[in-house]
Amino acid sequence: MHKGTSTKTWAILMVSPFILCFILFWLAPMFLGVWVSLHNWNLSSGNNGFIGLQNYIDILTPGSLYNEAFMLALKNTLVFVVISVPPLVIIALGLALILDHLPAKLKPVFRTIYFVSYSISVTAVSAIFLWLFNENGGFINNLLVSMGILGKPINWLSEQPYAWVSVLIATVWWTIGFNMMLFINALDEVDPSLYEASDLDGANGFKKFIYITLPQIKHVAFFIIIMTVIASFNLYGQSRLITAGGPEQSTTTLTMSIQNAVFGMNQLGVGSSMAILMGIIMLLVTAAQYFMSYRKKEVN
Amino acid sequence: MRRKQKNIIVVTLAVLIAVLFLLPLVWMVFTSFKTLSESMSSSAILPNVWTLQNYIDIFSPTSDAPILLWVFNTAVITIIGTVLVVAIDILAAYSLARLQVPGKKIIIGTIIIALTVPGIVTLFPAFYMFKSFNLLDTFIPLVLPYTASTMGVFLIYNFLISFPKDLEEAAYLDGASQMQILRHVIFPAIKPVAVTLGVITFMGIYNDYLWPSLVINSNEMKTMTLGIATLIQGSNFVNPAGMMAATVVATIPAIVVFLVANKYFVKSVTNSGIK
Repeated sequence: MHKGTSTKTWAILMVSPFILCFILFWLAPMFLGVWVSLHNWNLSSGNNGFIGLQNYIDILTPGSLYNEAFMLALKNTLVFVVISVPPLVIIALGLALILDHLPAKLKPVFRTIYFVSYSISVTAVSAIFLWLFNENGGFINNLLVSMGILGKPINWLSEQPYAWVSVLIATVWWTIGFNMMLFINALDEVDPSLYEASDLDGANGFKKFIYITLPQIKHVAFFIIIMTVIASFNLYGQSRLITAGGPEQSTTTLTMSIQNAVFGMNQLGVGSSMAILMGIIMLLVTAAQYFMSYRKKEVN
Repeated sequence: MRRKQKNIIVVTLAVLIAVLFLLPLVWMVFTSFKTLSESMSSSAILPNVWTLQNYIDIFSPTSDAPILLWVFNTAVITIIGTVLVVAIDILAAYSLARLQVPGKKIIIGTIIIALTVPGIVTLFPAFYMFKSFNLLDTFIPLVLPYTASTMGVFLIYNFLISFPKDLEEAAYLDGASQMQILRHVIFPAIKPVAVTLGVITFMGIYNDYLWPSLVINSNEMKTMTLGIATLIQGSNFVNPAGMMAATVVATIPAIVVFLVANKYFVKSVTNSGIK
């Protein structure tokens, strides 16, 4: 069906607003970014000439200013990925399992409660946790000191490892509901007859989880891990607003260091190169995870 | 009997966790009703002395935080942005799924590639484009860039290709025009996915921080979400009471939309997961 010029005209008319927006606001910035990264491009004075891959070389050569900033931010970002992905995945699975075992009437209530914090903005999350964790006048210090648990306030925001702990707790509270929802969907799709069969065999809850649930949800779990790694790589708002990148730049992430290259040092060219490198690193990490799970599947 | 005991343990655990999840929000609300000095020294959730002063302060015309303006800006850009994105994405997805668009395979391939490219790559060049056209500090960069998102087209396209064509074909044979088919056949069918996309888009624009922080400088043009960041980084909200009053105003619309659209939000997560 749908032959003739009029349908074709309609087809083009309907798709063109999107194509136009996509070209203007995604494709053009994409190519502009690659183009700018090959130039000595200053944010205020503009293009100061083609320099090939020099920006990339500067960023990747040890000893340069840009290299120090980029590598420190990369290290910090990886630290956050390593400390945040396990709790964000494991606690989310735990919450989903608890919800799964609740009486049906209570499920929606608790699901909503565990998920509601996901709806608020990173700036509001930061405002709340900034004042929960603040050294002077923060609620947690007030509470712990008044209960006699702490002799003097802990410097949650500007001393390590507390600064990471604060950012991590805020992030878990804010985003874990999303992973939990994905796990709930996965648990719902496990065939109930599998559990019934193991009931007859007298398997206990833990055994059922290891031998039935886990193998059944492992594809979704893998997808959640990849999504969480990507999200943690993009850490920005929490560490900008709660710890301001400190102490001593230890919570300065890649996005923050790119922003600093562009706005702090006026180096749009260097910043664009850093952004492209960060994009490449993220794609490589995702591809490596994908490849590893694929290999495992083959072996199994 | 054992089943009942097990239920009690699970429910107790669920309640304890629920308290942990709700505590920061409850603390936020009650702290906004504390006096400035009490909010700094308080180790209790409930205020000793209740006051509305924090709200009076942030809504007063002399406040550093033009909150009413921020609420207005946010309303304008989230509503226009959401309507634009949903309309543009429905038209494009329908066209790609059902009509003969030239270069269809290239377009769909590009959409999938764009979905995998991390957003950071286009962020600063996009900022530079708006800067070069002197469009910083206007509504234009706060609304239009969201229309380039490929997620919505992909979502509706996927829904449509698994949706039967019979009704459309019958309508076509009866002589219905393309627009009539779209309005009376397609739109009712994709309504749940369209609402889901609307909810995700609304929350995305409402809660976006990094992009608005690049393209907006003046206090008068800020969104509520960006405004809160300004208050955190400024020097006049160095007490939890005032800060939490502003945060309550910023979070209530998002939480209300979330609770009203809960069903669709839940669905949006299902749709984003692999089947």
